[in-house]
Amino acid sequence: MSRKAKDKPGKSPPQALDIPALVARAEADLALAHYKEATELYKELIKRERRPLWVDGLAACYAGRAHALADKGMLKEALTLWRNRQQLCGKPLFEGPYLAWLIQAGEQVEAVRMLADLSLPGTVRAELETRLAGILLDWPDDTPLALPAESPLLSHRAAALGALRASQLGDWVGMNESLAAIPFRSPYRDLKPLLKTLALLATDRSAAADAIARLPSNSPFPRLAVVLQAAILPDTRWLGKLSELDADSRQLLLDLKGCPDALRPLLLDLARLGEKPHPETWFDYLLRHRRQLPAGLAESFCQRLLPHAESRLQAYTDAFGRLPQVRHMHLAALTVEMRGKRAPALSFWERMAESLSNDPTQKLRAALIWRRLSGIDIAALSDEDHLADSIDYLQRSVELDPDQRETQLRLISALRGQGELQQARGALERALPRFPKDAGLLLEAVQVALAGKAFKKAAGLAKQVLELDPINPSVRQLIGHALFSHARKLIKADNFESARKELSAAAEWLRAAEDISTLNLLRALTSDDPADVGIRDAVAALGGGLAGAFHLALEAGRVGRNVNALLLRGGVNLKAAADAGAVVALARVVEATREPEKALRAALLPLRPLLKRAVAGRYAEADLSVICEAWLRAKENELLRHYAQVALKHWPQRPIFVYFKAASYAGNLYQMPMQLQDQLERAAEESHASNDRHTYQRIQSLFAALDADLSWPEDGADFIDPLDPGDPGAAFEMLLRMGGEETLFKMARQAMGNAAFDLLRKQMGGNDKNFARALIELMKDEMRGIGMPPQPAKPQPVKPPLAPAPRKPASDIQRDLFDD
Amino acid sequence: MTDPYRLLGVPARLHETTAQDAADYDEVIRQAYLAAIRACPPERDRQRFEQVRAAYEAIANARARLGHDLFDAAAPTPEDLLAALQADFQPQLPSAQRLRRVLGGKA
Repeated sequence: MSRKAKDKPGKSPPQALDIPALVARAEADLALAHYKEATELYKELIKRERRPLWVDGLAACYAGRAHALADKGMLKEALTLWRNRQQLCGKPLFEGPYLAWLIQAGEQVEAVRMLADLSLPGTVRAELETRLAGILLDWPDDTPLALPAESPLLSHRAAALGALRASQLGDWVGMNESLAAIPFRSPYRDLKPLLKTLALLATDRSAAADAIARLPSNSPFPRLAVVLQAAILPDTRWLGKLSELDADSRQLLLDLKGCPDALRPLLLDLARLGEKPHPETWFDYLLRHRRQLPAGLAESFCQRLLPHAESRLQAYTDAFGRLPQVRHMHLAALTVEMRGKRAPALSFWERMAESLSNDPTQKLRAALIWRRLSGIDIAALSDEDHLADSIDYLQRSVELDPDQRETQLRLISALRGQGELQQARGALERALPRFPKDAGLLLEAVQVALAGKAFKKAAGLAKQVLELDPINPSVRQLIGHALFSHARKLIKADNFESARKELSAAAEWLRAAEDISTLNLLRALTSDDPADVGIRDAVAALGGGLAGAFHLALEAGRVGRNVNALLLRGGVNLKAAADAGAVVALARVVEATREPEKALRAALLPLRPLLKRAVAGRYAEADLSVICEAWLRAKENELLRHYAQVALKHWPQRPIFVYFKAASYAGNLYQMPMQLQDQLERAAEESHASNDRHTYQRIQSLFAALDADLSWPEDGADFIDPLDPGDPGAAFEMLLRMGGEETLFKMARQAMGNAAFDLLRKQMGGNDKNFARALIELMKDEMRGIGMPPQPAKPQPVKPPLAPAPRKPASDIQRDLFDD
Repeated sequence: MTDPYRLLGVPARLHETTAQDAADYDEVIRQAYLAAIRACPPERDRQRFEQVRAAYEAIANARARLGHDLFDAAAPTPEDLLAALQADFQPQLPSAQRLRRVLGGKA
């Protein structure tokens, strides 16, 4: 069966149709872009009668098919159809896209021949001349140009070629003269901006960019325009354009850039790699071209690529030889660090630094590595050891590079933070002679002096800082606070006269309203006014109400006064009811107070009953959030649980309040009810789903702490076995540490019975700590005497222990990553 | 581009023998940085300006340069290689023949 019969079953051949049927089918096929079929039908119609409408139809069929072929790049076929259109339909050749296709198809001779056709309309001729301008410039000298003598393509060609020759020689004056001879309507007119761009390229890129911007978009010289546009791109951005160009244009761009011939294939290859090739592909490229590249360049690039293309280590060794040992460690450290393997990275860096430390010329490098190791890198390994390790690294760094001020400062600050004041002072003594006028170091010296309670020394040092940096606000505060501290010490010793002098000195330095209020309170404490007006005024100035009472209680702790008595003198009524606003205000003060939790809790202790009663107040959600944050900060777990519970009554399942409630079990997390643990898991999911990252992270931290708290072995024997069998109390000591006093009490109550337990507890006068110690001693005695060890209570729920990530020896990792 | 030296257009140097050498080189880098930001102020090309600033901070002094050499793990890019090669290129004027071929002929 023929294809035609298969495609169109039942269709009659055109010859069998009458005219109306032919017309209908021809129009329908043309409308559906079935040009081939429509062509046959129109041809049949024209055979019967040459009507203009049908001739136009046939011409439309040819045009449609020609466009379709040109779109597929079949320019020769498209041109043939266009010529058929002229011959069979009498349509002019120059209509439509014919000229453009001719030039694109490389039929320059035919295009030029068209210009000899005197019948061409003026506008078409001008367009054709413009399109042919480029071709005419590259016309072979041995091929005659069959153009009318008056054609501007001929008459202006000499000037255009002259401009090109002058530009080749860098004769810009000559070039401009030749360009001036080209009239503004000439087909060669667009040479002007192009050659001016070329002239400016080396000297003024910005002016070159302006020049080429003047080129019209329909210029007959688009290829040169693209090359010049690429050439004016800054830096290396032209490389990205290289692979988009045809062969001649690429070579022209490389000429303009001055690329030596030997490097051209390498650059073309480089352009094909793209901006961010895969590291291994990129490595292979460098290796492939290493001999064409300048000496050492491929080797250095390949080395830097090795951490990203680990699998090419052997290829590297084969090409360039083995890496020196230190460099090997260096690259291994970078490799494992990039993969987030902190422990082996640390190990490699340590080994590298050790190795460099022994080389006098490499001490600075070693110091930099030690310094870097003191930073965040090891934080994730072990918090317990982190600070000690940090200090060790900083000390090593300072030893090798004592002129690095920042490291000195970090070391002193870390030592102070660790309470190693003697060492901090030693480090200061070594650092200050090197940086005698350094305000930062002096400020650190002030902090060290304050930490050692050397208040006068601190004030003296602070004055030195101020001499160097008179507008330093923090040092003013430090002086004032140092004087406060000294005054408090004196008040504690009832040396009011001297304390007043210190306070007067502090007054000269302090400006903040809160500091002035504290100053007034301290002054009032040194006053012998029986009415305590000064104390009451100061409490009012410090916010009054609960906030003022808290400040007063805090100050009582600092100056060693009885809190309740002082609160009474300050006019604080602990039996009054507190409203929600007062509790919120107190919470804000607690949050803002930079005191240890112990001091905060001591100051809150007398207010606790009042705060428990105040839980019944009316609070907004935000208020309860602020309050819970404050109790969390002060580790006021009981208050925290009360307030979180109230919040959950109003806003059940709100993740943040579930978190607060769960966090109130801090220190005794194993006591957290299972129901609350389940709630916490749901809260984690909900906060994650609602993108509340902060709450989610906090809950995750709590889970981690919970896991650590509950990391009892499945079988208690494994846990107890390692303990000293000769010390039967060791298990109880461990139980006390892990489970807290309540767990110990619970177990003791079971072992002793309620009556004996309660009696003993009463005898201890309510001091749980002493009671716990007494219980341990008692149970140890019983175990020794009776030989029946009481079973340690097993807290619920039991989870497997979390093993801390061990620091693996570097050699193991090196075997995996860089073993060659 | 990942190489701060190339970005600022200064030769990479890691081993200054004396403090004066190091100070002189610091000044070379500073001058290159100032020229680079003059050529590319933030209002013209913010991204480029940030790159230039980061490059300067990475190699502004001897310790920074050593630190960059030790801890920078960024992979070199094809752009870095081109910049290294391009430093020795001598831009030249194309021949009239090359120009004519690009002006005419088949695109």
